[in-house]
Order: sequence, then C-alpha cells, then structure tokens
Amino acid sequence: MDSRERGMISNQDLRNPIVRVVYTVMVAALAGLTVTMIYPFLTTIFNAFKSKRDIFTFPPKLLPQEWVWTNFTEGWEFISFGKYFLNTMYIFGGTMFFSILFIGMASFSLAHLSIPYRKGFTLFFMCTLLIPGSTYMIPNYLNLKELGLINTYWALWLPAAANAFWILLLKNFFDELNKELFEAARIDGASELRCFLQLAIPLSMPIVSTLFIFGFTYVWNEWFWTGILLSDADKYPIATAVYKYVISGENNSIGVNVQFGVLTIVMLPPLLVFILLQKQIIRGVNLSGVKG
Amino acid sequence: MEAKVKQIGKPLTPSLHTALRRWRPYLWGLLFLLPEIIIFSVFQWKPIVMSIYYSMTNVDVIHGNSFVGFENYRRVFEDDAILIAVKNTLYYVFLGLVIGFWVPSVAALALSELRWFRGTARLIVYLPNIVPAVVLYGMWKWLYDPIGPVNQFLGWLSIEPVRWLTDKMWAMASIVFMSTWQHFGATTLIYLAAILGVPKDLYEAAEIDGARVWHRIIYITLPSIKMIFLLMFVMQFISTSQSYEAHLAMTDGGPNNATLTYMLHVVKNGFYKFDFGKASAMGVLMFVVLTSLSVALYRLQRKEDHA
Repeated sequence: MDSRERGMISNQDLRNPIVRVVYTVMVAALAGLTVTMIYPFLTTIFNAFKSKRDIFTFPPKLLPQEWVWTNFTEGWEFISFGKYFLNTMYIFGGTMFFSILFIGMASFSLAHLSIPYRKGFTLFFMCTLLIPGSTYMIPNYLNLKELGLINTYWALWLPAAANAFWILLLKNFFDELNKELFEAARIDGASELRCFLQLAIPLSMPIVSTLFIFGFTYVWNEWFWTGILLSDADKYPIATAVYKYVISGENNSIGVNVQFGVLTIVMLPPLLVFILLQKQIIRGVNLSGVKG
Repeated sequence: MEAKVKQIGKPLTPSLHTALRRWRPYLWGLLFLLPEIIIFSVFQWKPIVMSIYYSMTNVDVIHGNSFVGFENYRRVFEDDAILIAVKNTLYYVFLGLVIGFWVPSVAALALSELRWFRGTARLIVYLPNIVPAVVLYGMWKWLYDPIGPVNQFLGWLSIEPVRWLTDKMWAMASIVFMSTWQHFGATTLIYLAAILGVPKDLYEAAEIDGARVWHRIIYITLPSIKMIFLLMFVMQFISTSQSYEAHLAMTDGGPNNATLTYMLHVVKNGFYKFDFGKASAMGVLMFVVLTSLSVALYRLQRKEDHA
C-alpha cells in the first residue's frame, strides 16, 4: 500500500492481534450502521408494494408476499401529485429566480464594484446569520400579513432572497474570479449588468448549482411554514399536502399501503437528484459546515 | 436614481452637481446592492426589530393593536406549561448531544480507517439526509408502531415491546433517535473531511516513535479536529433547541406535554391560539439566549480561521 494512503492504522499494526480484533469489530459496527441506514428505506418502498391484507400480517415482513403496483397509481391520484408537484416547482422556480438575481447582484457588488461603506453593508447582511430564524417567526408572519402577502407565493419567493449564508457563499466565489477579466470587459464597453449576467454568473456555475440543490432540498422539504402562509389548499406544495392529508390524519380514507405509495413517490425526486448530483451534494455538505 | 443621473447635463444647483459627481463612481455598486438592501430591510430586519414591539402589544387583527407594556411577559412567566416546555427543550438538547454527538465522530473515525468501500459507505451514511421531512415522519411512525419493526427486533432480543410515541418515558427519546438517524450523516462527513485532512506523516512519525494506534488517535487525530468538535457542539445546541416540527408531526407535543418543546409552545400560542403578543414575547426571550450563544459560536469560528 502506498505510504501516503495510510490512515492512523498501518499495515504493520494490523499484524497485532488486538488491533486486528478491534478493526474487525469496527468494520462489523459500520456494516450494522449501514443496515440501520438502509432498512427504513426498504420498509417504506416494500410496504408500497404490499396488498392491504399483506401489510397487517403479524409479525410484519419486509418483503411483500405479492407485488401490488396499484398503490402507486392510487396514491398518485389521492394526493393529486401532478397539481402539487407543479405548485412545488412554481415555488422553487420563483425562489431561485429572486434569490440568484438579488443575492447575486449584491454579492457581485460587494466583490467587484466600488461602493462606499463596504464593511457596513457587509455587516448589515451578515449580522442576520447570528440571529436564529425561529426566534422572530411570529413577527415575521405578522409582517407578511401586514404586507398582504399571506396566501400568495410572494411570501415565499421574496423572503427566500434574504439569505445571508447564500450571500456569503456567492461573494466568496466571486472574490476568486479574476478582476482583470471584468476590467477587460468594461474596456470593451460591457455594462456592469452584462459583466454580471454574462461573465460572473456563467463562471460561477459550480456554486450556483450547489445553491440550486440547496434550494430544491429546502422547497421540497418545507411543509410547516408553507402550510401557515398558504391558507388555500390548492396552493400547497407537495410536502404540505402530504403532511395534511397523509401524516396528520385529517383524511384517513386511504390504506396504509397506499400511504406508503405516496411516501415513496415523494421520496423519489430527491433520491434521483442525489444519485445524479452526489458530488455537488457532498461538497455542499462541507460548505454548510461553516454556517452559523 | 437613474432619472437623476440623466439630468446631469442640464444646469443644476452647484451643490447638487458636486454631490452627484461624488456619488457617480458608486452608482452601479449601489444600484446592484439596492434590491437586496430592500429585501433584507423588509423581510429580516423589520420583523427582528418589530418582535420587541409585538412582545409589548396585544395583537388584535380585528380591533387593532394596543400597547400593554410587560403584560405579555408576565403572562409568559405565569404560564404553567412554560416550565415544562423549557425542561423538555433542555432534555431534548441533552439527549440530542448524548445520542447524536458521539455517533458521528466515532462513525467518522471508523470510516476514515475503512480501506474498501469508503466512498460507498460515505454515500450510504449520508442517504437519510435526503429523505423529505414528511416522508421521514411517515416512515418512523411505522417503525415505531406498537407491533412495528422496531418492537419486532426487540422481541428477537427478548426485550419487552415499547410504546415508543405514546409512552411518556420514551416519546422524546424516540424523536431524538429519528432525527439522529436523519442528520448524523452530514455531521459525519464534516468530521471525516477534517480527519482525512490530518497529514499522514504525523501518523508515520508517531508510529516510528512507537506510539500505539490508540495513542495516535488521542494525541494526533482528536487535537486536530478539536475546533470542529466545538463548532459542531454549539451548532447542534442552537439547532436542536429550536426544534418543533418533528414534535408537532410525531406526537403533537404529547403524551401529556412530554414532547412540548419551547418553540412548539410558541407555535401553538401563535398559530393555534392566535395569542401573537405572548408568542412574540416568548420569541424575544429565546432570542436573548440563542443570540448570545451564536455570538459565542461566531467568536469560535473566527478563532479557528485565525489558527
């Protein structure tokens, strides 16, 4: 083994029987951990394939006795997946549009344009990182109500752009971009708007794509706050709809197996995103480690 | 602002002219900042500042607000449930640290020593993070079912079944298990990155000097990730002390208020009882505690950046 590849334990150590036993136990524990991680996924997915009789057999079995596909179609119909999916995508689209545009412009200004009181403006944004959002949840709601934004998507889109963490990430990325590049563009007669839209944003695709993943995860997950802000059930995103109609049991007209069908359907898009974009997602995790 | 600039060619009063000339180089910079300044003022700073106002107001959407001084705060302190909520929150934070804090660090240590499948194991450990909250609740309500898989597993070990979500003893712990299952993978990855960042020469040198594996972990690995430990500790404290969504969805604060956290109490007062004044006062009290903590966290981070 290449010496640079070694960890705390070297090949030499593994000849020691005690180390070897500990190492084996460790690997076994990790295997157990892996099973614990995977098992809930498997029950959820397999339950979605069970028949009504099958799901209540005692003791519960992991695999279905007969594979039933209708739970998915029934669940899809019950939760009006198409409608709520479109709502979710609409919320996601607006959130990303306003966030990337406004946060991007501000970050670009802080990184590459001449402004007075740069430190003051930076503080004005960054101080909010220190204030936990839930502590002003009630005034936040009353404020949105006063502005007449309750039950509109604006109440979700605009506040999403007030995100200091994203400013931090984008500004740090813009800081790394070459100043001369923008100088050259300006000499060639490009306006600052063009510098931003046609140079800064395209060059920042790595971080912008990470922000898209963050945004999607957030919008796909958020069920409580959207349920408070949107009083019209036709405007709910999928998460709120699933909470109201499947989890909280306001409407128990469907069987448990169909409920698992719904849960599996709702889990699939993030799973797909994860499988396709795992590298960016893992990088995003390490970014969020610096967040307060 | 643009309209003003277009007027520069026309004769203006000299003072306005010099003012404009002085600000001209900043025009684009400020213009680019403007939307975000408005957004932050309206949607972040205004609610933050207004929380003090609302905490001293009887918020009445129909008849109009009226100033009541410290009345809301008095009602917070006279509320019997508040003590329960604070206790539950501290208990939740404590359990979260006891169960959720060592798991990721040990898992990261073990993962870093894995010689095969490290990439795969890393992905699997992270996998629960991508489960949407509502799916998580449905999944775990099933697992925790009195005759569900968890009790079945306990049965194999001949342990008595537990009424996870309806037993006062276990309800809070059940929620901690669930959120640890979901979140510890992300923390593990952060630790893992730190551990893998420790220069391998150190281990090599220590081994040549005769240090045991155990000593290498204590004297090399742990000191190098000490700051991350501390950061994660404070971050977890801040985030778990604010939780309410899982408690609302899994047990609705029950049984008998056993899982009523402070924030869940705020939410119930605000959005269920429409007692916005009292809920705001509770928010201000929370603000004082948590913001001092996050300022401490910020200092820590600064220290780490300079180290």
